[in-house]
Amino acid sequence: MTAHVSDDAVLDLALGAGTASQRGHAGSCEACARRVREAASALELAQRAEVPEPSPFYWQALRHGVSQRIAQEGQETRRSAFLVPLAAAAAVLAVLFSVPGLPVKGPLAPGLAAWSALPLEEEDEGLRVLEGLALSSGELAEWDRGEGLSAYLANLTDDESRVLAETLRKRGQGGES
Amino acid sequence: MTSVALACPLGLAASAVPGSGAELEREAERDAIAASKRGEREAFEVLVARYQRPIYRLCYRYVNDHDDANDLAQEAFLKAWRAISRFRGDSAFSTWLYRIAVNACLNFRAKRRPETREIDEALVDPRPGAEWQVEREDDAFRVRAAVSRLPDRQRATLILKLFHDLTHEEVAGILGSSVGTVKANLFHALANLRREMTRARETRS
Repeated sequence: MTAHVSDDAVLDLALGAGTASQRGHAGSCEACARRVREAASALELAQRAEVPEPSPFYWQALRHGVSQRIAQEGQETRRSAFLVPLAAAAAVLAVLFSVPGLPVKGPLAPGLAAWSALPLEEEDEGLRVLEGLALSSGELAEWDRGEGLSAYLANLTDDESRVLAETLRKRGQGGES
Repeated sequence: MTSVALACPLGLAASAVPGSGAELEREAERDAIAASKRGEREAFEVLVARYQRPIYRLCYRYVNDHDDANDLAQEAFLKAWRAISRFRGDSAFSTWLYRIAVNACLNFRAKRRPETREIDEALVDPRPGAEWQVEREDDAFRVRAAVSRLPDRQRATLILKLFHDLTHEEVAGILGSSVGTVKANLFHALANLRREMTRARETRS
């Protein structure tokens, strides 16, 4: 008598496959025949696990849900892409103000309004340089609503603003590495 | 052939006679994939429509719950959209998509693991020859519940092999394992399923 068939062979036989030799053995060995029957009955049992059919409208809802999530993600990606130049500008600022000799802004003096140090927008060269570096027209308002960069700019003195504008201009023209 | 396989005409074993329906469908799918890679959402929606049923059913069989299956199916398609530019066509698109869905299911289980009770992988049915005589609907529910409690790999193997009509090789490709491992997992899954159903039957009687 040949050796009992392996688990793999039992599975193959239960699935209707297996070699002639394996089938021959299972046909003459009650122990192996029983294992094949058990595997086959479990297969038949598993096949009964039918999935309830959802409503006919469900498939449309699924597609809609996927489309919405993709569209939403697309918007977020575009927003992220917009933030990249902003982050670059912020990084430039951070580097600038870590340069020795450049005045580092401390807390505002008591009674000094935050906006008092800012020149008028049309006279503010720094803003124009920033626009030229990282932003296209109209996008400035997007980040200017935030409190990060704009708040920092609001705290600059006239001298600091001039230094910043001059430095950014030089960097924008490749005059300073 | 199961209804799932019929619903997924790209079935991995479909013939590819030039000019045949299967070949035209494959060509349409290739076009949709190429357009999706270019970022055309409408093209990707074609792929979603094509695979939504098998992917949903795969997820349902994994979690045995409509809402969770819906979330997982959407998640799988979203991940496929994000990654489609990296789909090189080394395997069938369906294999690639199934793999994403199975991974989503595995991650879902990992997050919920404390709430689930798995069958011990090492256990097999000590009582052979058991038969189950239960009503069909109850049967389906109980079998689904038992399947959903199988260890992750056994469950994924059982679902892909039995309900999606895939070959051992295709299942191995999706799960990133060998054919031998697939067969072993399937064998133990069936044994555990029988044991679980026998226990459930004894509990009821």
